[in-house]
Amino acid sequence: MKQTTGNSAAVVLTAVVKTFGRTGRSIRAVDGIDLSIGRGETVALLGRNGAGKSTTIGLLLGLDGPDSGSVRVLGRTAEQAVRAGLVGAMLQDGRPIQRVTVRELITFVASTYPQPMPVAEALSLAGVTAYANRRIDKLSGGQTQRVRFAVALAGNPELIVLDEPTAALDVEARRTFWDSMRAYARRGNTVLFSTHHLEEADENADRIVVIDRGRIVADGTGDTIRGAAGSSLVSFDLAGRPTEGLELLPGVVTVEVSGDRALLHTDDSDATVIELARLGAIRDLRVSRATLEDAFLALTAPAAAAPATDSERETV
Amino acid sequence: MFRYIVLEVRRTLRDGFFLIFGTGMPVMMYLLFTNIGGGEGVDGWKTASMVGMAAYGALGSAMSIGTGVASDKTLGWLQQLRVTPLAPSQAVVGRAISGSVTVLPTILTVLSAGGLLNGVRLDAWQWIALALLLWIGALPFTLLGLGNGYRLTPQGTGVVNVACLMGFAIVGGLWFPLDLLPEWLRSIGRFTPANRFADLGWATTDGHAPGAGTIAVLCAWLLLFGVYAVISYRRSARTV
Repeated sequence: MKQTTGNSAAVVLTAVVKTFGRTGRSIRAVDGIDLSIGRGETVALLGRNGAGKSTTIGLLLGLDGPDSGSVRVLGRTAEQAVRAGLVGAMLQDGRPIQRVTVRELITFVASTYPQPMPVAEALSLAGVTAYANRRIDKLSGGQTQRVRFAVALAGNPELIVLDEPTAALDVEARRTFWDSMRAYARRGNTVLFSTHHLEEADENADRIVVIDRGRIVADGTGDTIRGAAGSSLVSFDLAGRPTEGLELLPGVVTVEVSGDRALLHTDDSDATVIELARLGAIRDLRVSRATLEDAFLALTAPAAAAPATDSERETV
Repeated sequence: MFRYIVLEVRRTLRDGFFLIFGTGMPVMMYLLFTNIGGGEGVDGWKTASMVGMAAYGALGSAMSIGTGVASDKTLGWLQQLRVTPLAPSQAVVGRAISGSVTVLPTILTVLSAGGLLNGVRLDAWQWIALALLLWIGALPFTLLGLGNGYRLTPQGTGVVNVACLMGFAIVGGLWFPLDLLPEWLRSIGRFTPANRFADLGWATTDGHAPGAGTIAVLCAWLLLFGVYAVISYRRSARTV
């Protein structure tokens, strides 16, 4: 696709704030997000339910306008980018409309874009060719989901946005879906998808952006995210010992207490363990590599506040 | 936009229940009203009632498109439509045009019942002009129904549409002549959309073209309801 704007970023959000509700009882669904996504990247927006993922997506599709800050998509406003046919989207709660076949729907959607891919190609890329002539309101949940994916890519858009694309899919359907998605990304397109499944984000994205309470709390590859909350996990039985000061031990990034057991996320497990041994706190001591899930939970724990930075580490 | 019209027309034509009830009800009412009682001056009544019922049926089916749109909204279809390059004005105009496929059969069945069963006699040009004028004249009401549908829930749309329809029918003199209304209401009545819409039909059966004033008033309503529908469509995509 010809690039006329000279801007290499696919998506640029600058200090974006979006508040819902009336004055007094309003919710800051998006609370100052800065995000830049380059062309050709595959990015996962990872967060719990209600973290602000869908709102962010609504903003960059132009469905809502930000209260403050700016949203640029492929060098234009979100609405202009959509109107120019540069964006395709699979929205979160799209259900099938009645009395129309898969092929009819895809043919229509493709016709609204300036340079669509051939309908047969869209059908095959999304894996819906086998039931192209069936009515979409007669399909199973997994089949419907793939039809919605076909809708998103029918126009051959440069940027494709998928809001929780695999919600309500079984394991097999998920795998097929991600194969299709990666095939589309390999064509040089930019893909942004939201999920609350860590493995999906880790396996299918080049980059993971973790959102919590309307803010970005981590941004990088799966390994970076693991590191952000300490790359190892050291745990031991407290045996009635107080927890104060644990966060000050060498290497420790965050501390969680679960029952009578302390979990230390640490950058340097050797130093942490040596110090614990010196203190005699080694009952049932275990050292393990932090999983992405551990990191995610540490980053988005209910008590976690501001983004974790070097100067300001969150502790319990 | 053409593809959008095709898509929506297909969906409508596959809804047999909607088609049969939408077109069947006004005919039933027409035949019932004109064949019960009867008496003197029956011929004039049958013609006037035919026009009135065709107009009323046309308004009803024009506005009922809004209910379909409201349920499409609950399915998330309007949001999905918003993230395609289809412009809001094209989406609204396309939906209004596709919606008129249910309006025409309603008009045609009532007119056929008048001509074939009740023996209403008009010149050939009058039949054609009547069908076309009522069909095109229903567009402002289609847009009003759409605007309500984009804005409200399916149930809400149904209620508001019926209220609009009855209000317009009474103030516009579709149910009983405007002369029976108080003076102040009568002067307003002549500028309401349903009154001018029915005037298209009355002028035709009287054998002359509708006045320029009638057409101007209807165009003004067309514009107003069109803007209302486009604004409602744009709002409908908001996530909260």
